[in-house]
Amino acid sequence: MTLSLRHVLVILFLLPALYLDFLAYQSGSTWVALGLLIIIGLGAYIYLDSRAEAYRYLFPGLIGFGLFIIFPLLYTVVVSLTRYSSSHLLPYERALSLFQQETFSNGGSAYNYELLQQHDAGFLLYLEEDKDSSKRFISEPFELTAKESGPVEPIKLSILAEGATPPGQPLALPQITRQKLYIPLRSRHFLLPDGTLIALEGLQKFTARQRLWKINGDGSLTNLQDGSMIRPDFSQGCFVSQKGEKVGVGFRAFSGVENYAQIVTDPRIQGPFLRIFLWTILFSALSVVGGLAIGMFLAVLLDWKELRFRNLYRTLLILPYAVPSVLSILIFKGLFSQEFGAVNEFLRALHLFAPEWETNPWGARAMILLVNLWLGYPYMMLVCTGMLKSVPSTIYEASAMDGSNPLTDFFQLTLPLVLPPLVPILVASFAFNFNNFTLVYLLTAGGPRMVGGGIAGETDLLVTYTFNLAFRDSGTNYGLASAIATLLFFIVGTLAWLNLRLSARKVRA
Amino acid sequence: MRAQSELKLRKTLAHICLISIITLVLIPFVMVTIASLRKGQFPPSALFVKPDQLSLEHWKFILGIPYRELVNPATGETRVIQASPSPLLWLWNSVLVSGCSSLGIILLSGTAAYAFARMRFRFRSSILRTLLILQMFPAVLSLVAYYVLLDYMGQHFRLIGLNTLPGLIAIYLAGISVNIWMIKGYFDTVPTSMEESARIDGASQFQTFLRILLPMSAPIFAVVFILSFIYTMSEYPVASVVLQTSDTWTLAVGANSFLYEQEKLWGTFSALAVLGGLPITIVFLLCQKFVASGITSGGVKE
Repeated sequence: MTLSLRHVLVILFLLPALYLDFLAYQSGSTWVALGLLIIIGLGAYIYLDSRAEAYRYLFPGLIGFGLFIIFPLLYTVVVSLTRYSSSHLLPYERALSLFQQETFSNGGSAYNYELLQQHDAGFLLYLEEDKDSSKRFISEPFELTAKESGPVEPIKLSILAEGATPPGQPLALPQITRQKLYIPLRSRHFLLPDGTLIALEGLQKFTARQRLWKINGDGSLTNLQDGSMIRPDFSQGCFVSQKGEKVGVGFRAFSGVENYAQIVTDPRIQGPFLRIFLWTILFSALSVVGGLAIGMFLAVLLDWKELRFRNLYRTLLILPYAVPSVLSILIFKGLFSQEFGAVNEFLRALHLFAPEWETNPWGARAMILLVNLWLGYPYMMLVCTGMLKSVPSTIYEASAMDGSNPLTDFFQLTLPLVLPPLVPILVASFAFNFNNFTLVYLLTAGGPRMVGGGIAGETDLLVTYTFNLAFRDSGTNYGLASAIATLLFFIVGTLAWLNLRLSARKVRA
Repeated sequence: MRAQSELKLRKTLAHICLISIITLVLIPFVMVTIASLRKGQFPPSALFVKPDQLSLEHWKFILGIPYRELVNPATGETRVIQASPSPLLWLWNSVLVSGCSSLGIILLSGTAAYAFARMRFRFRSSILRTLLILQMFPAVLSLVAYYVLLDYMGQHFRLIGLNTLPGLIAIYLAGISVNIWMIKGYFDTVPTSMEESARIDGASQFQTFLRILLPMSAPIFAVVFILSFIYTMSEYPVASVVLQTSDTWTLAVGANSFLYEQEKLWGTFSALAVLGGLPITIVFLLCQKFVASGITSGGVKE
């Protein structure tokens, strides 16, 4: 085996990849490091062993596919089985560490303090016992940021020699509060040389403190101030007291099929969910049928060889497909604006009824459908044009002798021929519209709001509803959103599978 | 004679029908162009602009050219307005993201399609099927996971994290399966005889791919590039979640940002829409023959 260019390249990739893996391992993400190591090993095998030659062409694509399609899919399914929302945001360990950081004043000595700003943007804390000002302490340099990340170790204090002045610029009290230093400072603990824990109490003083919670061997916590006990309840995702009351912040916990059950049983979710589901199906079906009708009609017209300007017409008719759809959707939002929009001004000028495109549910739905037809027909037209080309012209000659007209020709001869091969494309188009997030989100954002439906809107599709559940509401509920997303996976997956069966001839290849 | 006049009538009807549909298609584009040239923030609603309302302020704004705006008509007080960051930056970000993603998609899906079209190996058809089924799941549904994934990667590597363009590109690169199918469909139609004779002459598999098949398949790569480019240009949900500060926004996110619920800056939006939409539209129309053949040859993408 000679050393070829390929081997050199593999080694050049391998070294940084392994280093990266080492870094990941070192930062504590053992599972990630293990996964990465497997991928690296697989890659090395594929590019070095000639038996795996075909996979050399697939490897990069499949890695991306696995990372950004399959992983998110699995992750979503896992999240859907957990209690994970704005009130159950932290993992268990983080929630526990919040308890560990809680302290209470045990009546020990109090200290006056000065916060000293250093040149390098860090801080020092200077303390002086209020009863005995000869006991002076100075802290290690530390940072104060609003963003807390995980459990923070107490900052060590050491005795300041007599006569020595602490370095840095002392901050006055208003500065401490104004610079938003107060809250981070209040949450930090300091450790005296004798092992006493102290923390800021009120604005003026530091006091000696003691940890509030003692962690017992069985996972429960004992409150050292009043002797009460709490224990984590992993089915509810929170700590509960002996009386059964929730204490402190909730944490993420496995909840089984609870989120799914909520969709079926909770009336606040179930009602909007069903209505949104029905509208999603109606919207997708009408979009496909309407788009196909217009697209087919235009394709047949443009297929007429004696018609002049066919190419010019075709170019102009493709325009809605050529313009980035985000832009055209937003343009339509302006055109359909209820008060000043072009559509209503035109209708008013004709003394016709001007629909409420924004506030009336059916008006908004009609608008969405109209815009989607405008956006969607060129694709159908292109597809139908391709299909029509494969229809042999001889079949029309026979019927022409019988004195037929174009309409009966189309419905009796053309349509039965082109419709079957179109079916997979129609199914795919249905699935696409089923999840047509951009259209609905940018045009109406789901509005108008459904009465009594929480954040659900009358024009929401299941995808936009899911998105709002996860990202837009103050009561963010990742668990529920993921459960609905998982249901959508199944619906769309079934459609995709159906599609594959219908176009089975292509797969065999 | 009767048949002649009937044919003429039909043709006239066809022309009228086509022209009226094309009018409906063109009106929004005319209106948005007019709105971009009209003084004040009016939604696209007029087909012409009165000369005294003509103004280039929106164009100056999005091109980042400073201009004076009258603040107080009584005193004639003015102030200088300049966009920061310039909306041109969004267009540049979009072109960068779409260009890199489309190139990457071609690279990844082209090589994969080659393996599927020309080689026989285990799991070949099951991988192909899995790709086809999974590609139908829309990216929106995976947003929570993307967020977590990019957040994690960003903690170790600033370069591909949240709020970075490479992070967004990485997500877009995963959308290769439609394109694998499209390119594979094209490769299947290319006769293998030339590659076979090259193999007999001693060329390696990779060489035949690079030197023989690739040059013959330029049209399909053009189609894939254009379709991916337009798709990523129009992508809103993933970009809006990944990109959080206005200096990293793409055109789609930036354009929507002009239309707040409280204050809709229609004029500014219109100018940006025309500037961003026009180049892509022209390129698309120039290549429409390729694109049409690509779509009809089996790719499904809207």
